[in-house]
Amino acid sequence: MNDATRFPSYVAVWAWLVALLVVGLACAFLPFGKAMAIFLVFTVAAAKAFLVARHYMHLRSESLLIYAIAGLPVLLLVGLVIALVPDIVFRR
Amino acid sequence: MSEPAGFWRRYVFSTDHKVIGRQYLFLGLAMALLGAASAYIIRWQLAWPESQIPLTRWIPEPAMYDGHLDPSFYNQLVTMHGTIMIFFVAMPILLGALGNFLIPLMIGADDMALPRLNMLSFWTIFTAAVVLLASFFVHGGPAASGWTAYPPLSDDPSYTGVDWGQNLWLLAVALEFASFLMGGINFLTTVVNMRAPGLGFFRLPLMVWMQLTAAVLFMLSVGPLIAGAVMLLLDRTIGTTFFLPQRGGDPLLWQHLFWFFGHPEVYVVLLPGVGAVLEILPVFTRKPIFGYRTIVYSTIVAGLLSFIVWAHHMFVAGIDPRLATPFSITTILISVPFAVIVFAMIASLWGGSITFPTPMLFALGFLVTFLVGGVTGIFNGSAAVDIFIHGTYFVVAHFHYTLFPTVFFGGFAGLYYWYPKIFGRMLNEALGKLHFWLTFLGFNATFLPMFLLGMGGHMRRIYNPLQYDFLKPLAPVNQFATIAMIVLLLGQIPFVLNFFGSLRYGAKAADNPWGANTLEWQTSSPPPHGNFPTPPTVHRGPYDFSLPGAPADFVPQHRPAAAGGRAA
Amino acid sequence: MTTAAVAAGERIPSGKLAVWWFLASEIMTFGGLLAAFVLCRFAGGGWEDQAAHVNAWIAAVNTLILLTSSLSMVEAHRAVEDGSRGRAATFLLITVLLGLTFLGVKGFEYSRELAHGFTPSTAPFWSFYYGLTGLHALHVLAGVVANAALWIAALRGRGWAQVAPRVEYAGLYWHFVDVVWIFLFPLVYLS
Repeated sequence: MNDATRFPSYVAVWAWLVALLVVGLACAFLPFGKAMAIFLVFTVAAAKAFLVARHYMHLRSESLLIYAIAGLPVLLLVGLVIALVPDIVFRR
Repeated sequence: MSEPAGFWRRYVFSTDHKVIGRQYLFLGLAMALLGAASAYIIRWQLAWPESQIPLTRWIPEPAMYDGHLDPSFYNQLVTMHGTIMIFFVAMPILLGALGNFLIPLMIGADDMALPRLNMLSFWTIFTAAVVLLASFFVHGGPAASGWTAYPPLSDDPSYTGVDWGQNLWLLAVALEFASFLMGGINFLTTVVNMRAPGLGFFRLPLMVWMQLTAAVLFMLSVGPLIAGAVMLLLDRTIGTTFFLPQRGGDPLLWQHLFWFFGHPEVYVVLLPGVGAVLEILPVFTRKPIFGYRTIVYSTIVAGLLSFIVWAHHMFVAGIDPRLATPFSITTILISVPFAVIVFAMIASLWGGSITFPTPMLFALGFLVTFLVGGVTGIFNGSAAVDIFIHGTYFVVAHFHYTLFPTVFFGGFAGLYYWYPKIFGRMLNEALGKLHFWLTFLGFNATFLPMFLLGMGGHMRRIYNPLQYDFLKPLAPVNQFATIAMIVLLLGQIPFVLNFFGSLRYGAKAADNPWGANTLEWQTSSPPPHGNFPTPPTVHRGPYDFSLPGAPADFVPQHRPAAAGGRAA
Repeated sequence: MTTAAVAAGERIPSGKLAVWWFLASEIMTFGGLLAAFVLCRFAGGGWEDQAAHVNAWIAAVNTLILLTSSLSMVEAHRAVEDGSRGRAATFLLITVLLGLTFLGVKGFEYSRELAHGFTPSTAPFWSFYYGLTGLHALHVLAGVVANAALWIAALRGRGWAQVAPRVEYAGLYWHFVDVVWIFLFPLVYLS
């Protein structure tokens, strides 16, 4: 793995992160519908997290085991949220 | 790696996994005394309510009044009994002691991957135990809301009269969680990175698979409860309102967060006990374990399923009724992989040359008693039946018929089996057999009647059953169970005598007194610092017993395959 | 570790495996708390009236601070890989200072809100607000301490070769804390 792939321009990634921050703020304050705004804002957050994980945490060059260790909790949390919706969201 | 000098670095602040394993063992055994003492007082109170409980005159007011139990203290004892037994006895002995001691040895490594983290993990749980014990001495006494700490009871000090006791409980449990998270990190990293050459995953001893699965289950499940514990602590200290319904909070949220952890947790406790039994059966039947891969896959499936059954603890808590069906289904489903493992154990006995030294007796004892526990789980897991038996002694009997087998039958089986390796001495067989029979008979006599109590409607966690007319006819059952429990407690005396006596007077243990194949038996008893004078290379699986054409009826894992022979 | 090496195959260093394992449990912890927040918020009808009192701009500044600190942290890691102890020390110091700034801004935010009478008991929204951001701030503090220790070790030089790999591990933790905030920020401030 040569230097160029191992160390992408971290500053470029940072610039994207700042840009996404601005976009997220815009989505929140522009006149979108509430559901749309939440969706957009969350998508932006996911994109930022993806960038940090992939480039700063070097997930792009890590092995399957690391992906499994990082990915399993996320899946479990999705399951937890789904199971809790009837009780917590729709309670009497 | 040279051995550290000085008493403190060698025996107290040691990074050697064998020393740390022993430290966990002694912690667990010491806390078991407290767990047993609380059980004694609880059961005496249930059998002869309001009477003066023998041997308790020294406990001061307001807990006890000259041997008479205060109702609040009863709740505190019930809470501490569960908390101590699960978090400070079961996990330290099965995971902390057996896991720490055995894993590096069984994989041919010289120590854990992160020895200083290992040392930190022990001292963290030691601190946790001190914090928990301290809660007995604060104003208001220790936590009184059950080991499950449901709010609002646990949330508002005015409900139980307990203030700092509950906060200290939360702190102790949080420290215990941190300790086992650290331990789990070590278990996984060590097994992934430090296996001897030739030791692929499907040549690992089943105990290692079980410890690994338990570590993964714990790590993935404990987070939401840590979040919940933080929330409860904040409710109690800075005035947040997470779980207080009158202030907009939701008590059911706690139950979901707790049991999301609580259910995988019981398998965290179960699996190492199962692992001990699976190591012992082949050795005392002199034949390979039946269905090695099946057992591994079943364990993984059970582990995955364990994350989607938790609401079966909440069927009558006021959950959405539509949740009951899916959780009943998953709960019934999870009995399948465990049944497969039990069947594999039974099949492992079939056609074997069985001998019955003490480790084998305890392993068989596990099989018999866990079967009862597993089967009664099905009753609890079916929501319709659970509506009747939830919160009764049926549940108490069920979980003692699962937890006690794993901790005490599986754990003792492991202790008797590995004692020679850990301490370099043999235990006395006669005392061991006496211990087994008293434990087996005492345990069954204590807990089997509780199924009847439960079906008769006897509720859990009540201070005086005779306050209820419909429970009065059941009083003799309670008395019988208490007497049986006293036999069970007294039956532990042979073990204590044996354990400490043999340290001094036991016969010196050979490297491999049982004729077993796994790597820990291929070095001295106890192993030297660094475990193996020359690092071993593995050539076969762990259960090559009675191999056709082999010179002996066991072939250790590091023996090379003979020319033309078959390595597992 | 002096055991014979496992034959072939890429081996993940034990330290890195350990940190990812730890992060997995942290994902479950923060995830659990965030999940509870999201669900309770839906149940409670959105809590917009309470949520209106947090200041998204201050939080946006804090987001920028944390993002930048992730940049400096990963540059510290690159410096270690390049063998440059001095540059690593510089970037570690920048990360520490940015982390402290984050905490300072957070403290300023808390003092404003408390002065306006928004305490943890005021409403469920505020319970979650203080709980979430407080737990996160504690994690930031722990990261600052760890990074400061590494900065001191980099300055001192003695034993640096042993300590240097830990910059990557501390970095993983620090980026995780950043990722938590990346989700926290919109969920608390922008919804």
